[in-house]
Amino acid sequence: MPQWFIRGLRRGIVTTRYPGHPDSSVSSLPSPPAFRSEALARPAHQRAAPRPFPPNPYGRGAAPSAATVADLLVAVCPSGALRRDGDTLVFDVGACTACGACRRAAPDAVVSSGEFELAATSRSALVKRIPMTAGAAA
Amino acid sequence: MTVTGTTPLSAVAAAADTQGPVVVTDVSAADLAGITKEVARAPGARLADMFADGTDPVMLRLVWALDSDQRYLITQTPIDTDDYPALSDIAPAAFVEECEIYEQFGVRPVGGKPLNRVAIPPPLGQGDIDLPRLGRAPAELPQDVHAPHVVGGQAFEFPFGPVRQVGVESLYYGLVTSGEEVVDLYMFTWHKHRGLEWRTQGKTPAQALFHVERAEGLGAVANGWAFASAAEAALGIEPSAPAQRCRAIALELERLYNHAAAIAALCQACGLAVGRAAAEIALEQLHRLNAAVFGHRYLFGVVDIGGAVVTPDTQALRAGLPDAYGELRRGGEALLATNSFVDRLEATGTVTEEAARRLGLVGPVARASGVAVDTRLDHCYGPYPGQLRLPAGQPGGDALARLKVMLDEVAASVSLVNALLDPVGLEQVGGSDLPGRSGPRSNTSGCEHSANTPVRTRPGRPTGRSGLGWAESSRGESLAWVELDSDGLIRRARLRPAAVRNWRGFDDACRSQNVFTDIPIIEASFWLTVAGLAR
Amino acid sequence: MTADIAIEERAAAELRREVARQFGRSLHIRTLDTGSCAACEQEIRLLAAPHYDLHRLGFFFTPAPRHADMLLVTGPMIRAFAVAASKTYEAMPEPKLVVATGACALGGVYPDDAFTYGRVDGVLPVDVWIPGCPPSPLALLQGLLVAVGRLAEKVSGLSFIARSPEGAHEDATAGGAA
Repeated sequence: MPQWFIRGLRRGIVTTRYPGHPDSSVSSLPSPPAFRSEALARPAHQRAAPRPFPPNPYGRGAAPSAATVADLLVAVCPSGALRRDGDTLVFDVGACTACGACRRAAPDAVVSSGEFELAATSRSALVKRIPMTAGAAA
Repeated sequence: MTVTGTTPLSAVAAAADTQGPVVVTDVSAADLAGITKEVARAPGARLADMFADGTDPVMLRLVWALDSDQRYLITQTPIDTDDYPALSDIAPAAFVEECEIYEQFGVRPVGGKPLNRVAIPPPLGQGDIDLPRLGRAPAELPQDVHAPHVVGGQAFEFPFGPVRQVGVESLYYGLVTSGEEVVDLYMFTWHKHRGLEWRTQGKTPAQALFHVERAEGLGAVANGWAFASAAEAALGIEPSAPAQRCRAIALELERLYNHAAAIAALCQACGLAVGRAAAEIALEQLHRLNAAVFGHRYLFGVVDIGGAVVTPDTQALRAGLPDAYGELRRGGEALLATNSFVDRLEATGTVTEEAARRLGLVGPVARASGVAVDTRLDHCYGPYPGQLRLPAGQPGGDALARLKVMLDEVAASVSLVNALLDPVGLEQVGGSDLPGRSGPRSNTSGCEHSANTPVRTRPGRPTGRSGLGWAESSRGESLAWVELDSDGLIRRARLRPAAVRNWRGFDDACRSQNVFTDIPIIEASFWLTVAGLAR
Repeated sequence: MTADIAIEERAAAELRREVARQFGRSLHIRTLDTGSCAACEQEIRLLAAPHYDLHRLGFFFTPAPRHADMLLVTGPMIRAFAVAASKTYEAMPEPKLVVATGACALGGVYPDDAFTYGRVDGVLPVDVWIPGCPPSPLALLQGLLVAVGRLAEKVSGLSFIARSPEGAHEDATAGGAA
């Protein structure tokens, strides 16, 4: 038993101080996306940066044909967390698995939100409406 | 790849080096029993899986692992009638699959044991929701498993589950006990059936990967890799070398955290709180390392069809791995020096070498029983170096042997990760010119596409092609078989995580002279998932 | 209509106060797996590990539903599981909380079909939803603290609209295109 005692002393305290203090380990956790409204209504083929390598046509990133960026995001989401409602992109944070497929499909329109404190007391509080306002960036 | 004529074994011999690692051969229904007997008797042959597809006729496929030949042999037999000769008499490992094939396709083995309900839950009796099957419904639904002997006298049946301890997956088993000694244990495995093989039908392989990874969250990389390489074989593509190394690193990280979790569970089952805390500190460090290196604590979303989606942050890996490994290694050494703990594991849950071979067990459970099977060595795949050296295993077959195997494999995994980090290719792909190197998710530049650009190995469209894929998960050989239709959509996908195989050794281990309170220890030392079994 | 909503909101606030009074200092948790992939289970186990140590916050795991104040549910609620889930819930004493954990439980992985309800609220009344696949132990901790009223719910105030300043200069063509 003494070796366990010495081990414990040497190890010290590892326990997080959350919620009193922020925890640094959250920075590398996957988090749900956040969307740039002004980019959602653009034609899907208009990409911010050219791709230096051809995309993998068999892989998860294989983008289906879509009219707008918003439609592209809806098509690539594997968990059905995104849908379009007229000029609004409806994002269900509850259904999101933070897989990053949307961010890879349209890096100019989607960023990581960095949020991990996502618990909600009603399911509807997790459904977000993102307006697709074209030209907001101008 | 299909070879006909003569016997399958001679076909394998004739195939020599030109056929690749998988040999497919047709066997008629009339020859099925005879040929199964012949292959089962061959040294080094192990029935790795058995599954069916189609309706008219049902195609019965047996996957044999010829480990010494570094090959898989698939025999395919069309079953025109409603039955076929029971193969579990010849290869006992086939029994669970015979039950499953009956439930899913309605074809019945003749002359075997009475069939159990293993996969599809019983009808709920509310609104008559008929559960979808992969083929024809059976004429008569099989019944639940029951104790094969008469319970009377001193023994009684103790139902346990499906809701169990805190933070443990749901599983229902019937325990036959005399009060202390475990007389028998039989499992009800259908509670967690989510119809995953059925769900993949009609999807592209890339779409199906989402569900394949979530079939068994603690085996996402291994099962994803097995499935992806099956799909790749069907599509006629191959992942690039950097992508292979990326997968292999993720796979070893998955093995590391699973072994750490198993050791923590073993300590918990033995009531050794200090050991549990030490193992859990290492486990949490490994999960954080996964998140820092691949962007996900459970490494979801790493494997892609034809490549790998994310490239590892090699700097974070080099920085974090020694610390987490050191924690686990020192914990393991302290555990082996704690006599009260070691005594508890010794002679607990013994799986004999004979049982491991008979039931076709894989992974650390088999290796702890003296059956050295490891697809990384026995079946060439991925980026593994030719001179790969891995621990051969331990004799004994008890929980202690399994713990020692896990500790040896932890050390081997760390040196394998270091070896995989060495080649220059990974470094180049890992992207040294990127601005923020906080995590792989933040890099959306083209570097990930170079790892994710597959290499074509076969020209033409993927018309009705099929393929077998495998990977060595932390629980052992994970297999997948994929058949695509002419549009490249999945016609039939078979997922066989290692848990499917090894649970059939669990009841055997519990029965072997053990007492009631050994069961949590045995379960922890097997470290299987119900999700992978019931998928 | 608005009056109804106001009444509901008042009732909800009253309930939250009551929950905080009853459970704010100590709460016993029972877990229930209704078809998870085992990753959520591992994250839940890690809550008791040294890095998170949920006991310091007054949360405890209990093996019996009879002693539990909260049911932590993972998985998409497999139909074959509905009976076991209801029985577990009914065995718990009042007042009780149900927390749905992970994308499966919230409807992100499986649809409502022959095998699963696709969401936990197909069978059980859910009080708190914790997204994530799987939710990290920290996300679980935040969910538990929200459930007992010790942390305010944060997500209802988030828009998930990126208002990053670099949006303007990153893509010069955006203005022209619009």
